[in-house]
Amino acid sequence: MLPKFASVIAKTREEALSWLSSLENPRIIAGGTDLMVKMRAGKQYSHVIDVAGVPELLTMTETDGRLSVGSAMTHARLSTSEPIIRNARSLALACGLVGSPQIRNMGTIGGNLANASPAADSIPPLLIHDAVLVLESKETRRRVPLEEVIVAPYVTSIDRKELLGSVEINPLRGYREGYRRVAKRATWAISRLGVAFAIKEDKGRFTDVKLAIGSCTPMPFRPKKVEDLLKGAEKNEAIITEAIRMALEEIKLISGIRPSYAYKLPVLKGILEEVLRG
Amino acid sequence: MKTISFVLNGKKTSIEVDDNETLLGALRERLGITSVKEGCGIGECGTCTVLVDDEPHYSCLTLASKANGRDIKTVEYLSSSGVLHPLQEAFIKSGAVQCGYCTPGMLLCAYSLLLKNADPDARDIKEAISGNLCRCTGYIQIEEAIKNAAEICKCDR
Repeated sequence: MLPKFASVIAKTREEALSWLSSLENPRIIAGGTDLMVKMRAGKQYSHVIDVAGVPELLTMTETDGRLSVGSAMTHARLSTSEPIIRNARSLALACGLVGSPQIRNMGTIGGNLANASPAADSIPPLLIHDAVLVLESKETRRRVPLEEVIVAPYVTSIDRKELLGSVEINPLRGYREGYRRVAKRATWAISRLGVAFAIKEDKGRFTDVKLAIGSCTPMPFRPKKVEDLLKGAEKNEAIITEAIRMALEEIKLISGIRPSYAYKLPVLKGILEEVLRG
Repeated sequence: MKTISFVLNGKKTSIEVDDNETLLGALRERLGITSVKEGCGIGECGTCTVLVDDEPHYSCLTLASKANGRDIKTVEYLSSSGVLHPLQEAFIKSGAVQCGYCTPGMLLCAYSLLLKNADPDARDIKEAISGNLCRCTGYIQIEEAIKNAAEICKCDR
């Protein structure tokens, strides 16, 4: 049984924002795949505002070379969307691996971000695409980089009165891009490791490398020093070995030594080797 | 309370639901459709699967109010003409039913797959039922049944 709450169904963005500002303890719901589980476990809200049908949150637009993805778009839609496959292959792949078909038909990208799990599959791809979240309240509108929105595992800087309207990403063309993950099972499993990558090479050199690692540290992160090391470097085993050593060191620096690292770090090393060698 | 109207197994339906009611609860308690079951209640087992506009959803994690204006199908739809659907026949023939608890959800996921893909390979079938747990058959018979039904449905076209 779910706790008592009143539910309202927003038809427009304005309606959702106005309810967010006037109601006492509201919570946004879209797919419900995380929130319904939490409410069932006892989490209480006075009101639940359903935004799954708000047209503005279901659209994808391209402006000034940036792609804006509506927050209520489902994983199923993103994983098969032509513009996403073309501009952000890692995101399409990651969305296609979330949960199960039912979860992908229900769960949304906005929900995945607002839940801010360290193992959220959509986050590493969004990081390599320099994602910026558009957060709106009745009075304000701000654009915040994804790195700054997630402040701790399952904690974001999104205000209670704010609605995550869309996610803006930088398309990457001409990159070898993908998403690799390790989980206990092939499907319906939480990622134990997730690596998003986009690599550009020319005449035996790395001209650009973008990497993001999920499920290893409290928040998925981009090892920027490793990216800088590789950018412009000649592609050879020595540089790849050094890059991976630096990435593993950075993880230990962020999290200290964790019991799971006995397994995770050697596996991550293997994934990074494959990804960088290409 | 809210009044919601939707198409249930091909018939227009209108009911009153509580704000905090799940679609699973509404189907079982208000409409008597007990083929939709609560297994885990947290979207892992798939016994509560219904089709929303022909796509599988977990009804245990769906607010009843979300059904408003949508097309909802449960396993009853498959035999609504009075004859078992080729998928149901194939499940029986292949021994894909043991305790039966997962069967309605499996059938709906298989039906949704065949709507989109008339010629699924083994991988497509595994993927389609990957959000549904069966603790009896070990899946082999279910996959076989779906493969066989796909062949029969192709011949019927």
